[in-house]
Amino acid sequence: MAFDYEKYLRMEKIPHLWCPGCGIGVVLKSMLRAIDNLDWHRDDTAFVSGIGCTSRAPGYIDCNTLHTTHGRGLTFATGIKMAKPDKNVVIFSGDGDATAIGGNHFIHACRRNIDMTLIIVNNNIYGMTGGQHSPTTPIGFKASTTIYGNIDPSFDICLLARAAGATYVARSTVNNGRTLEKYIQKGLANKGFSVIEAVSNCHTQFGRKNNMSDPISSRKWIKDREIPLAKARSMKADDLKNMVITGEFISEESDMERWENYNRALEEYTKAYGDLIKKVKKKK
Amino acid sequence: MSEKIKLPDGFRSWEADVKIGKKEDKVTIGHWADGCKGCLICVDVCPKKVWKPIEAKNKYNGQLVTVVKADACIKCMLCEIHCPDFCIKIF
Ligand SMILES: Cc1ncc(C[n+]2csc(CCOP(=O)(O)OP(=O)(O)O)c2C)c(N)n1
Ligand code: SF4
Ligand code: SF4
Ligand code: SF4
Ligand SMILES: [Mg+2]
Repeated sequence: MAFDYEKYLRMEKIPHLWCPGCGIGVVLKSMLRAIDNLDWHRDDTAFVSGIGCTSRAPGYIDCNTLHTTHGRGLTFATGIKMAKPDKNVVIFSGDGDATAIGGNHFIHACRRNIDMTLIIVNNNIYGMTGGQHSPTTPIGFKASTTIYGNIDPSFDICLLARAAGATYVARSTVNNGRTLEKYIQKGLANKGFSVIEAVSNCHTQFGRKNNMSDPISSRKWIKDREIPLAKARSMKADDLKNMVITGEFISEESDMERWENYNRALEEYTKAYGDLIKKVKKKK
Repeated sequence: MSEKIKLPDGFRSWEADVKIGKKEDKVTIGHWADGCKGCLICVDVCPKKVWKPIEAKNKYNGQLVTVVKADACIKCMLCEIHCPDFCIKIF
């Protein structure tokens, strides 16, 4: 049965500004279905973003939305959540927005385990500003700032989030809209900080420089590199170079190593903060 | 089975009787030509070759697609889910 996206959109702004075939639309749609599955009410939910092609997403949602400054979406979102802990807060961010200029905000939001969901659209490039390389541009690939091929190793966004303390972490790609929907839904439902990485195509800026300038070949390039986490576990590191490992890196069911728990937040952040306020007030 | 079919304004539609596995069913495929950007993802993801590119363009100069085999549709929803532009509805 067709999904009623119109219910959640500012239709006067559609068609959106993204290039034909840009994966961000697929991620936005997956998120709207996830929200609908959970029956979240629009007045109880805020969508926040920084700057970039990805960060334009909240502007299309007919809801409480905030388009802020580059890399700082998480800080505005944290403010909203601290002031209104009973509301839902979702942040949309690009790979540049979340892991370059906003990298510090990213790891500290994970560390606090504050009950928000961060969706990172990783298209391996600064799409909006003309295709500069980002912290996730694979080695050997071209960008307008790495014209002879990139030599900087990439961040693994999911492993970074996991190490920093996020309590739900998953990765899928724009080839798998249903899986994205499922992971985003689990992230939204998690009472703590959730990170969903959606690997996406920017054929316009990244593809063009790397011999895949149309959406179909860029999507295929992603598909051909997808490896489920369970399979990756039994593979050699050398064979996993530049691959896209998909799956849930941390979830209630996932087999997180025991010792990895030693430094993890025990409580959701706004709850810990509320408890602290009560304690201090009692003393006075 | 009668599902309520509500296509937004501007959607063209194709209807057909389909067989999904052994089950008889009906499909209505909706396409919003004015929103379509001609990315051809629908053509690429459809396992039954229901969609086809055509020469015509819309008002944004986007190349258009059309439904050529509605009766082959298995209602897998792949085209609806992966159209980045909210242009496809499968009922
Ligand atoms: C403080 C600041 N520095 C730089 C910029 C320019 N800028 C705008 S978007 C962007 C990068 C966007 O990349 P990403 O977050 O990956 O988003 P995408 O466009 O790829 O979705 C940059 C560097 C800015 N707007 N503000
Ligand atoms: S430049 Fe890249 S990320 Fe931006 S809309 Fe175009 S394809 Fe999408
Ligand atoms: S996927 Fe959507 S926008 Fe792309 S060609 Fe098909 S209907 Fe048009
Ligand atoms: S629902 Fe599936 S079979 Fe039917 S047109 Fe879409 S992709 Fe093709
Ligand atoms: Mg990017």
